[in-house]
Amino acid sequence: MTGTAAACQLLALLLAAAPAGAVTVRDMLDHEVTLAAPPRRIVSLVPSVTEVIYALGAEDRLAGRTDYCEFPAAARAKPSVGGMVNPNLEALVALKPDLVIATDEGNREETFQQLARLRIPTYLVHATRLDALHDMIARIGALTGREAAVGPLRDGLARRVQAVRRAVAPFPRPRVLYVIWPEPLIVPGRQSLLTELIDVAGGESVTSRQEQAYVRFSVEAAVALAPQVIVLADHASANGGTSNAGRPEPEKWRRFASVPAIRAGRLYSVDLSILHRYGPSVVDGLESLARLIHPEAFR
Amino acid sequence: MSARRRLVLALVTLGAALAVVAAISLFVGSAALSPGAVIRALAGRAGGESVESIVTLQIRLPRVAAAMLAGGALAVAGVAFQGLTRNPLAEPAVLGVSSGAAFGVVLAQIFGLGLTVLEALGVASFAFAGALLAAAAVYLIAVIPGGLSIQTLLLAGVIVGIFFTSAITVLISIVDFNRLGGVVHWLLGNLAPIPAGSLAVFAGLALLGFWLILRHARELNLLALGEEAAVQLGVDAERLKRRVFIAASLLTGTVVAFTGPIGFVGLVVPHLLRGVLGQDNRLLVPTALVGGGIFLLAADTLARNLISPAELSVGVITSFCGAPVFIYLLRTRYRVAL
Amino acid sequence: MSALVEFDSVAFAYPQPERARDGGFALADVSFAIEAGEVFGVIGPNSAGKTTLLRLLTRVVAPARGEVRLEGRPLARLAHAELARWVAVVPQDAPRPFPFSVEQLVLMGRYPHGPGRFFESDDDRALARAAMAATGTLELAALPLEQLSGGERQRAMLARALAQAPTLLVLDEPTSHLDLRYQAETAALIQRVNAERGMTVLLVSHDLNLAAEVCDRVLLLSRGRVARVGTPAEVLRRETLEEVFGCAVSVDVNPVSGRPVVQVAWPSVRAGR
Repeated sequence: MTGTAAACQLLALLLAAAPAGAVTVRDMLDHEVTLAAPPRRIVSLVPSVTEVIYALGAEDRLAGRTDYCEFPAAARAKPSVGGMVNPNLEALVALKPDLVIATDEGNREETFQQLARLRIPTYLVHATRLDALHDMIARIGALTGREAAVGPLRDGLARRVQAVRRAVAPFPRPRVLYVIWPEPLIVPGRQSLLTELIDVAGGESVTSRQEQAYVRFSVEAAVALAPQVIVLADHASANGGTSNAGRPEPEKWRRFASVPAIRAGRLYSVDLSILHRYGPSVVDGLESLARLIHPEAFR
Repeated sequence: MSARRRLVLALVTLGAALAVVAAISLFVGSAALSPGAVIRALAGRAGGESVESIVTLQIRLPRVAAAMLAGGALAVAGVAFQGLTRNPLAEPAVLGVSSGAAFGVVLAQIFGLGLTVLEALGVASFAFAGALLAAAAVYLIAVIPGGLSIQTLLLAGVIVGIFFTSAITVLISIVDFNRLGGVVHWLLGNLAPIPAGSLAVFAGLALLGFWLILRHARELNLLALGEEAAVQLGVDAERLKRRVFIAASLLTGTVVAFTGPIGFVGLVVPHLLRGVLGQDNRLLVPTALVGGGIFLLAADTLARNLISPAELSVGVITSFCGAPVFIYLLRTRYRVAL
Repeated sequence: MSALVEFDSVAFAYPQPERARDGGFALADVSFAIEAGEVFGVIGPNSAGKTTLLRLLTRVVAPARGEVRLEGRPLARLAHAELARWVAVVPQDAPRPFPFSVEQLVLMGRYPHGPGRFFESDDDRALARAAMAATGTLELAALPLEQLSGGERQRAMLARALAQAPTLLVLDEPTSHLDLRYQAETAALIQRVNAERGMTVLLVSHDLNLAAEVCDRVLLLSRGRVARVGTPAEVLRRETLEEVFGCAVSVDVNPVSGRPVVQVAWPSVRAGR
């Protein structure tokens, strides 16, 4: 943590001290990124990065976003370059960006190659843990010259996370099954931020032994793990209710009467889609999640 | 009018059409550039770092070149497969050859091969191998004494295609689940701008495949007499089949390596050309090279600008065109004897 | 007249079991010669090996034993295209599907004379037209082959073989699908081609009377072996035919041509009529 903090401070110093000179920084995948000047026209290909930029008050430096960068609502005013998997290169170039921020989880390798060909600096982020999220906030703060806002934002988030930890600490930790997507059944594995959030919220994710971030799981195996709490993520309401995709269908789960969660009536379907966008609002989701898992802690 | 003169006339007409479509493709796009700006960039009079220069020279122009090459190669491969199997429904995607090539590409990417010139050759080799594998599988499944059973050929193509597509999904899910969305997107076919060096490799391989088929165009005609009759006319039928087969697989593999699998070009373009020019492969092969370019370029321009700034994959447009043609051919040419 | 084609102790068997239905039949110790300029017939029951003989002659398959020679040279030493300049085959059936026109079909016959050419030469085209004129198919030149009647198709296929300008013309069951009128026309055409162009003709047919009428000599094949070779009068004898074909026949003489006429003795089903 101190290492990255030091790197961020160095980055900030470099950016502040050399307004006209080229600067080389290392992104979160440890690639070198060379910037001619502090970036003033950033295109964000990652919804969580867009969110952080707004949270830091750096939106004046944001030139473009993706269709999925809808949070906060003000972001919709910025021009979109298309999807995360297939951003429109022409639209992107037309925005004249001096930096593109992308992630290796959601954007395509081919897009990075095209950006490199077009000599547009690309900064990659990779945040699948809470501390990585903290790191990302610091880095974006340094990149956008809003270091001053980093501290308050991070401290605020850290305080809330700590508060959750303390609230749930005295209670036994139930086994939690989190259903990211019902059909096919997709659950969080060890590398997913969700697993860590469940842990902080005072639960034990039953699928945490799976290595990958997102695992295609069999319903039988999920049931056999005897979860005591089942949380169904409801994406349909996030879609504006126009499609049935991702609608959780709790009745399907209630069939499994032998599962402890069903017997205890602890099957929840909630719009926790904010948990799936790994920006600062993920802490809001954490608090909601903790309330579901440990209602007794928050009375 | 002699065949030679008809060929020249057809090529001139198609060449003009290609120029028109290429011009339109250069003028139309998500970055709203005026025609004047595009022309300035093409003439080299816009600044090197200006938007019009980058968009025109580094995004649109390479894409147009890729579309012309890919479309031409796929159409010629279609003509070749159709000549070999004596069946107008045969084409790289229908026969599952594209899927085999795609599998090869995914495998190559897992080994870390990318878009540099040398790596591009590597990817193309993997794609070629995958294409050959799929084509051989389909052939062996469908061959019966006396030739190829048409029904079995089509079914075998479907199965082999599904097999390789599933294999790709499995491979990616095991290796890196995060990339699955990207790979699925690539499988729809994707004309992205290609760096100049790799474009040269692409062009070289495509033209090689084209030439290999062109020089056997007359003999392909003779195959229509039946293999035995062709042998009796002096055609080395086994060698002919082998060469055309390999060349068509090379073309398919090359295209898939650089642009992902795009279907139905090899079905629609030869069909349209046959309607005008007849069945002579000596006319079809060269005109398919140009006609395929026109078709794919038009499809790609449409795909990119229909719902701007979002983009459709070009494979979506070609499939929408191709499926009706396939059905039409199936209904009219195939009174299948039960 | 020297031998144009010689079969010298030729033996052949199709690899079992793929060809089992097609005869699978061995040719054993077949020796005969075809003289230049004659019309030579090959007759025999269905699985006697007639088609196999034809395939051996055109090098679609190779003999297991023995040798086939063309003007004294072993067939195996000839290139495919060279053999095609010597021997042209009119197959039994037109190919299906066949999406070309009659003229395009006939032009295909010119391939062996210029396999390296991409387009046919003016000479090729002239010879093709001459071949179509000789078979009365010139007016059908632009029509797709599939639109023609059986007889017209047969003549178009013959035109293609003639365009090939062979020394030996091989006809495989030329009258099998034809009406009586076209059978007569085909017989006349064979004789005209032989007389006017000096072309040696090999006729494979199960129509014994056609063979009797047009052939100078015939070869009777039975179970892969040569039963008899000679003039129609010598070969088409009652005892010989009954033994080879396994049914009762009667052999008369055609009053006009003097050639044998073979008739099957139909089994009498209607007793007492």
